[in-house]
Amino acid sequence: MRESRSFLDPAVLARLMALPLHARHAMLGSVSGKHRSPVRGSSLEFAQYRKYVPGDDTRRLDWRTWGRSDRFYIKEFEADTNLRLCLLLDTSGSMAFRPAPPMPTELSRLEFALRIAGSLAYLAAKQGDAVGLSSMSDTGTPVSIPARRGAGHLGLVLDQMSKLTPAGGTTLVESLHRVAETLRQRALVLIVSDFFVPTAELHHAIQHLRFRKHDIAAFHLLDRQELEFDFEKPARFVDLEGGESLLADPTLIARNYRAAVAEYLSALDSLVRNSGIDYHRVLLHEPYEPALAKFLLGRSPKKAGR
Amino acid sequence: MTFLEPIYLVGLPLAALPVVIHLVHLWRRKPIPWAAMMFLRIAQQRHRGLSQLRQILVLALRVLAVACVLLSIARPLAGGWLGLTGGAPDSVLVLLDRSASMEQHPTSLPTSKRQAALQKVSKTIRQSSGDRSKVILLDSASLHPLLLTQPEALLDVPHSGPTDTHSDLPALLQGALDYLASHPSGRTDLWVLSDLQKTDWDRSSGRWQNLRSAFAALPGVRFHLFALPQPPEDDLGIRLENVSRKTGGDRAELQFDLFLQRQSAPTSPQKIPLRFIINGVATTSNLTLKDSQTAVHAFSLPLDKSLLRGWGRVELPADSNPSNNTFHFVFEPPPPLRSVIVSEDPDATVPLQAALSSPPEPGREFPSTLLSPDRAHEIPWDDTALLVWNAPFPKPGTPLHHQFLDHVAAGRALLLLPPQTPEDSELFGLRWTRWEEAARPVSPDWWKNDSDLLANTRDGTALPVGTLEIQRFCGVSGAFIPLALLPGRLPLLLRPATEKNVFFLATHPNPGGSSLSRDGVVLFALLHRALAEGAQSLGQAQHRIASALPDSTTAPWKPVDGSTPLGTPSDQLALRAGILQSGSHLLALNRAPAEDLHEYLSPETLRELFAGLDARVLTDTLEDSRDLTSEIWRTFLFGMALALLAEAILCLPSSTRPQRQDSPTAGFATAPPSR
Repeated sequence: MRESRSFLDPAVLARLMALPLHARHAMLGSVSGKHRSPVRGSSLEFAQYRKYVPGDDTRRLDWRTWGRSDRFYIKEFEADTNLRLCLLLDTSGSMAFRPAPPMPTELSRLEFALRIAGSLAYLAAKQGDAVGLSSMSDTGTPVSIPARRGAGHLGLVLDQMSKLTPAGGTTLVESLHRVAETLRQRALVLIVSDFFVPTAELHHAIQHLRFRKHDIAAFHLLDRQELEFDFEKPARFVDLEGGESLLADPTLIARNYRAAVAEYLSALDSLVRNSGIDYHRVLLHEPYEPALAKFLLGRSPKKAGR
Repeated sequence: MTFLEPIYLVGLPLAALPVVIHLVHLWRRKPIPWAAMMFLRIAQQRHRGLSQLRQILVLALRVLAVACVLLSIARPLAGGWLGLTGGAPDSVLVLLDRSASMEQHPTSLPTSKRQAALQKVSKTIRQSSGDRSKVILLDSASLHPLLLTQPEALLDVPHSGPTDTHSDLPALLQGALDYLASHPSGRTDLWVLSDLQKTDWDRSSGRWQNLRSAFAALPGVRFHLFALPQPPEDDLGIRLENVSRKTGGDRAELQFDLFLQRQSAPTSPQKIPLRFIINGVATTSNLTLKDSQTAVHAFSLPLDKSLLRGWGRVELPADSNPSNNTFHFVFEPPPPLRSVIVSEDPDATVPLQAALSSPPEPGREFPSTLLSPDRAHEIPWDDTALLVWNAPFPKPGTPLHHQFLDHVAAGRALLLLPPQTPEDSELFGLRWTRWEEAARPVSPDWWKNDSDLLANTRDGTALPVGTLEIQRFCGVSGAFIPLALLPGRLPLLLRPATEKNVFFLATHPNPGGSSLSRDGVVLFALLHRALAEGAQSLGQAQHRIASALPDSTTAPWKPVDGSTPLGTPSDQLALRAGILQSGSHLLALNRAPAEDLHEYLSPETLRELFAGLDARVLTDTLEDSRDLTSEIWRTFLFGMALALLAEAILCLPSSTRPQRQDSPTAGFATAPPSR
């Protein structure tokens, strides 16, 4: 087991604290928070007028409108609620992939994913949002922690994160469907994975989540070697997810390999465009802080704050 | 394709070594933990056809390379274009069997065995060594090595032409050995061209052991035994014996024994036309052949009585073996069959003189002279067909000793009887030891009845040799061929191993020695057969086996009957069957009787004769027009190099390195999908 919470870098967190985590869609939180709610509330931000119906609180009648139009209108304001951040971490064997030594970092894909997920969990918890965690692997007992608020719950989530180990085959698609079914309230679903699944299956799972009105964000973790396949000699490629190994001569199949990767990425881009998910492709040898900053900045509201 | 070292072919399974190594290496390759297997599988699937083909090609080339090495070690032999890559020896010695049987050819082909062998071998030498090797011809007729300017000369030189001689292959090999001893060379190829006729090879001769030992001691000598042991198709041969001119009353005739022999018995009686040509005048006579062979004794042809001497031949229709279709003969009035008896005990040899002077043929003279040893200088050597010598051997170096040797060398017969007191002297490698007295008369228990002096009569009746009684006989020591043996394998009648017309009779014919004079049949037959043997070289018209020219006359020999091809060199004249004339001498030359025997050595026997030597047997047929084989191990080494080169090219890394512009990571960080 890795050192507890070692994947959290206080310096990085300190710098990212200035960037709040916003939901791109209205959230149905249980408490007041920083995020828009689909229900009307008592915040300072005007939402709409609606006709008075008997039973409405007469204190919300807009007398000025009555004076101009001789009709009763109720003045409604936006409600602020909290965010449910649901972290979906791929813990299949492929997440154990570690870039070759020449790369500047030697983090495995899962370690990289933990840094991203852990940082976001911390940031969300600090701004009062609920944080949950689900692991996606067909080996062992999957971790499934519902989203809750509070420092104690954050500690539980972080501790569980530190215990995650990559093994087995991926259950990304199944896990997305399962989360879509079990997550009853709107949430920000953050997926951190290598997404090595057929894009058609992934498309259905994403659509399922979107149908449940969840805000979906994804960090796609890839290594440059996985994209370029730049090997010199024939080798035996051992499947990290436990499948059979393949003997291949990279000099012969590199072109086809790159073509397959390009087709896959193109299909994934199309999926992203059609489903409107917040997609971030990150290379493992790059530092994760810029990617997080870009993610947080990208979610900031376009108009001036309240 | 054949191999000189086929034992190495057991290593051929080693050719699968590259495949085994490949399979081992498959599982020893560096393992790389990999996550993006889905792309790898897609790429493999798309590339499977070409990749597998390339891998199979690489493995096949490696297997081919190893197989080529193994095959080259096994020293392959091949003909045609593949055989062009053999190495060139320093010398090529062509040992040519020029016997009469080598002139055999199928009726459909004009090429004889000799010509076919020469053509193929000259072509092979040309292809394998070009002009880089020294080519020497050694033929069985002359046994003189002849250096040739180019391989094609094998077909042109007179020393490779046809002959009607008999071959002595051990002597031919001895000639090659003598040449190699006097002309040391590097690698030498010995091509032996023969039809493997048994009588030519004399496989039971003691010379083979010596030849094998001598050749084994010579480094770099390889034998190529090119054999054409193809029996003739339906061959019919003719032979005459005892040709003589007979007169009776007012008529004269030519009388001879005629033998016809066919390779296979005819299914029905067959009429054979015999064409006789006497002094250029042809007559035809038919003879019915009922079996595979027919013998007609005392066949006669009428002659003009005024024709005292002449020449002629008998011819058969053409068949696959032209060498035995003709037999040449000469005739003249029979010379007197003179015999001379020299005895230290005239009384003991009176029966001999009585038998020798009794004429078995009417009208022919059989003068016999009895002389004492001190009158030996009176012997008429030129006219004597048989000399009976009952006295101590002449001392070596004396004129008489020389006259003995000349007498025998001229083909005359010599019968030696033991003197009363044997001396310690030798003649023709034999010597008398001492007299033995038998307690009671003994009779011969074995005698040679198929040929020689005691052979059965023409009708197959055996001579009564077994009824002879021998009381006193003299021992003989030395190397001899027995013709009759007493109990205990004691020789009674014998001849030296080296001379065929010298005979030793170990007893006396008088009553104190044996019953030869009393039972005169055996003595009469023995003496007259010896006399006939010596008479063959008597007179001016003689029959001989085609061989080296006789040098008894000073005038050159010339062909007279037109059967000898024009332009035949004088030293080759006597090697062909025909009629030669020198002054008043006529000579009828014919093939050796052994050439009519179609018995051939098997390749296995041939290998036994060359056991322990670097020899290969190439058995061919006249109909096979393909080239001979040669060693092609260099070709296989070249093939190995080619295979390795092709394998290296296939194993080169791909020249199309990935270009960054094509990489999926190009602009990766800055181009997230737009929403």
